[in-house]
Amino acid sequence: MLYPLETIHSSHLRDNRMSASDSMAPAPSNELLMARYQNGDSTAAAALVGSLSPQLHRFFLAQFVSRGFADDLLQETWMQIHRVRHTYRPGEPLLPWVYAIARHLRVDHFRRAQRTTFREVRLEATAEPPQPARRNEPSMDLSAILAELPESQRDTIVMLKLSGMSLEEVARATSSTVGSVKQKAHRAYEKLRQLLETGSRQSRNRGAS
Amino acid sequence: MNDRDIDDVLNRAAGSSPQVDPALVDRISQSIGGTLRPVRPLPSLTVLAAAMMSICTAAALLAGTVLGMHGIQKMGAAASAFVFFALAIFMWIAALASCAQIIPGSRRYVAPWILLVVICLGMDAVFVWQFDGLVTEQFVAQGIPCLATGLSIAIAVAAGCWSVLRRGLAVTPVTAGVAVGALAGLSGLAALELHCPNLEIAHVLVWHTAIPLLGGVLGAVIGLLAAARHSRSPD
Repeated sequence: MLYPLETIHSSHLRDNRMSASDSMAPAPSNELLMARYQNGDSTAAAALVGSLSPQLHRFFLAQFVSRGFADDLLQETWMQIHRVRHTYRPGEPLLPWVYAIARHLRVDHFRRAQRTTFREVRLEATAEPPQPARRNEPSMDLSAILAELPESQRDTIVMLKLSGMSLEEVARATSSTVGSVKQKAHRAYEKLRQLLETGSRQSRNRGAS
Repeated sequence: MNDRDIDDVLNRAAGSSPQVDPALVDRISQSIGGTLRPVRPLPSLTVLAAAMMSICTAAALLAGTVLGMHGIQKMGAAASAFVFFALAIFMWIAALASCAQIIPGSRRYVAPWILLVVICLGMDAVFVWQFDGLVTEQFVAQGIPCLATGLSIAIAVAAGCWSVLRRGLAVTPVTAGVAVGALAGLSGLAALELHCPNLEIAHVLVWHTAIPLLGGVLGAVIGLLAAARHSRSPD
């Protein structure tokens, strides 16, 4: 389905973070940049990398990975995007395509990391298990807040709320339906509500004592 | 605490998360720019699905011609119209689902597993409606050759479909395997309906409908193996 232009522009407006000094004309949409990238325009490729990297980096950081690991995943995602850039269909929304590739790589990376950890444990029997989360840190850390959610709900929340994608776009990126995305978002919000209310109650009690 | 409060908490947390290193972004841009050349985007989903449908139809017709069109000759006009119309519809849906699997971020109307079940039940319903004869002689002896023939055709069709689909990227290899396996299995089933003169329900329901089902399961196994192999390969 082709999206109405207004929808694409409004949902992606916040992501087009080209410098205002670059031009007085409105920044081209990510879809347009991608089409130019497919045509071999290196300026468009650089603009796209600059525009999408912050939110992709945040997407990886929200999955309890270290900053170095998020950097690696970001680089690898762009290399994969570069290799399969012909699979993007001009006129289709770009973010679902990008996030579908990013999720695929992340899953693959975790599988490899698990395998490596398993081998190290078998060989040396001394390796420490990977530190999955910084969930005990008292700071307002994104990964700590999302730590209690299952992976599918976490992905949904990050894409919907932090990357500004629509329900339809999240459904495409996660290979599911809009109904399923709505359900996951609803469950995630219920869980976050419980966690945040419990947290604020505990801090109030600490303050009172 | 309402949804807006949760949004605020999430936005604050996202704002305090570490920013991406500008040097890293520059490095990525330079790396991409160094190997940049124009590419031709994949054809539309409809064009890709039409190509897959052509491969499946051609394979079924070729197999029917080589083995003999005994089935369709025995079937009668109404039965053959219903059976092949249902096969064409399911083949088209399976072709669309298969092509959607190799284009990241494309819309999914139905999960391939569900599609596989719907295909098997739908074809069973058509067979029960059009054919009769629950009691059959030499059930296994007649069934095994049909199953072997149908699966051989399905494997050949799957290889042909793969030649079209390998330009894409299957982000979920297992479900991609199910979709392609079901499509190839439908082609094997179509070839059997053209060829096999045994139209007894028990035979058709078990040995013919097993082909898309086994095709889907085999496809899932191949997808699983491909994913495992990929995760084992060095970076």
